[in-house]
Amino acid sequence: MADYQLIIIGGGLSGIAAGIRSARFGLKTLLLEQHTIPGGLNSYYYRQGQMLETGLHAMTNYAQPGDKRAPLNRLFRQLKLSRKQFTTHEQYCSEIRFPDASLRFSNQPLLLEEEIRTSFPAAVDRFSRLKELVAAYDPFTPAPWRSARNFLAETLGEPLLEEMLLLPLMVYGNAEEHDMDLGQFVIMFRSIFMEGFFRPAGTIREFLSLLTNQYREFGGELRYRALVSEIVRSGDRIQGVRLAGGELISADAVLSTVGMPGTIALTGWDLPAKAYGGQMSFMETVSLVPWEVAAAIEPRRTILFYNTRPTLCYQRTDSFLDLSWGVICFPSNFVGVEAEPYAQIRNTNAANYALWKAAAPEEYRELKAAWTRAAVDNAGTVIGAYRQEVVYQDSFTPLTIERYTRKAEGAIYGSPLKIKDGTTPWPNLFIAGTDQGYLGIVGAMLSGVTVVNQHLLQ
Amino acid sequence: MTRDEIKDVILEIIEDIDEDAEFDNLDADAPLRDQLDLDSMDFLDIVMELRKRYQLQIPEDEYPELASLTSCVNYLEPKLKDA
Repeated sequence: MADYQLIIIGGGLSGIAAGIRSARFGLKTLLLEQHTIPGGLNSYYYRQGQMLETGLHAMTNYAQPGDKRAPLNRLFRQLKLSRKQFTTHEQYCSEIRFPDASLRFSNQPLLLEEEIRTSFPAAVDRFSRLKELVAAYDPFTPAPWRSARNFLAETLGEPLLEEMLLLPLMVYGNAEEHDMDLGQFVIMFRSIFMEGFFRPAGTIREFLSLLTNQYREFGGELRYRALVSEIVRSGDRIQGVRLAGGELISADAVLSTVGMPGTIALTGWDLPAKAYGGQMSFMETVSLVPWEVAAAIEPRRTILFYNTRPTLCYQRTDSFLDLSWGVICFPSNFVGVEAEPYAQIRNTNAANYALWKAAAPEEYRELKAAWTRAAVDNAGTVIGAYRQEVVYQDSFTPLTIERYTRKAEGAIYGSPLKIKDGTTPWPNLFIAGTDQGYLGIVGAMLSGVTVVNQHLLQ
Repeated sequence: MTRDEIKDVILEIIEDIDEDAEFDNLDADAPLRDQLDLDSMDFLDIVMELRKRYQLQIPEDEYPELASLTSCVNYLEPKLKDA
């Protein structure tokens, strides 16, 4: 008999959610996490006594408790967590800012419609039509790739508006350059423009504790500092995993959440890992400023998506950072978040992994400092200068992300090729997480849930 | 188990799955799915709970037998008679 019925590689959100499902229904489950803290891309760390989150800007898919069909509430039911007892803070309002137009949106979809009525009066009826088409589209039934850009052009015929709508949807979850799959577009459109942004009360640390406690409550086992070095094959089946220290743990089934390039490397899968390498990676800078400074900079904006050009160049940049467009997030600007001594400003720009990778260690440190300054000054041109007010700062480059999360090339949205059904050539090895196709925190968790439901419970 | 006991088990499982479930106006002969706004993922949970509690294996092509409260009881009665 195998040591476990299911081994899950990776203690990120998809892995923990998968673990809750399998442990809840009695499968003997082991979750392996390489670090001493769970969360994967959405984790936290300590510097100088300050806890900082690594990834979380906001969660998407906001829904009131009681709305049973909403993805967030379905997810909570699946994890057997009480939605009523889960305190959330909704966004105030976010904004898409281009040179010649700006659109605000909130968790009330009517705001965006009113903004479009003001800025693009000729397109407002076509935008209503777009919303109907998005509502009617089924993105979960496998379908061939379709261009979201073509769909938008046919439906709206208003190029600037199309570019503006694409910016938040791409930057919060598109692994492809230039265009995105229509199914992915529909999922992102609903989760951002129809449902909207919120934060869980507290930080990602409390949210992760809620999840890991639930997993352990159901009898799931969790091992930290457990780096998997090999997914062990035996004939045409997977036998288990080997840890970096040499220990072999056997399992009836293995679920990998480490992405396609990582899974290919661990299994010796005969596939070109390169084809599954994402091009889109980012650098993020977290700045702590006195609370009043952040409040004065951009009152009541939660997330600001800016572009200095009329078209969106969503692609790997040929410079270290692309400062022409980006995201500025104010994690303190959610309704009901209490004032603290310091507030964060997080800004994100597309980065070029290959350039960062090529830098020698000494040069890398200098480049990181220089580009952090450039990114903050650049964000300052959008929201007003704040570099002088920064009391603490840290940046993550694509290399930081690759090193800590094993996301190949720091591509946080993973492979442009998605393994939507979660299967592999081995009947007892499955894929969940970013490379299975759902993105964001809610999406990652639904991915773990869905793959366990489809392949391991039935 | 008696028919009434089976009915109580089903309602208890649903209540356990969905903290918002309300049974006040439940029509035992109408589909549970529509009345309680449940989806296929919730239905899987009912099946999984039955498996966990009574080691009952319900094949996927028999899930429609669980459509209404009455059909659930009819379907489960012979299976749970010694439970």
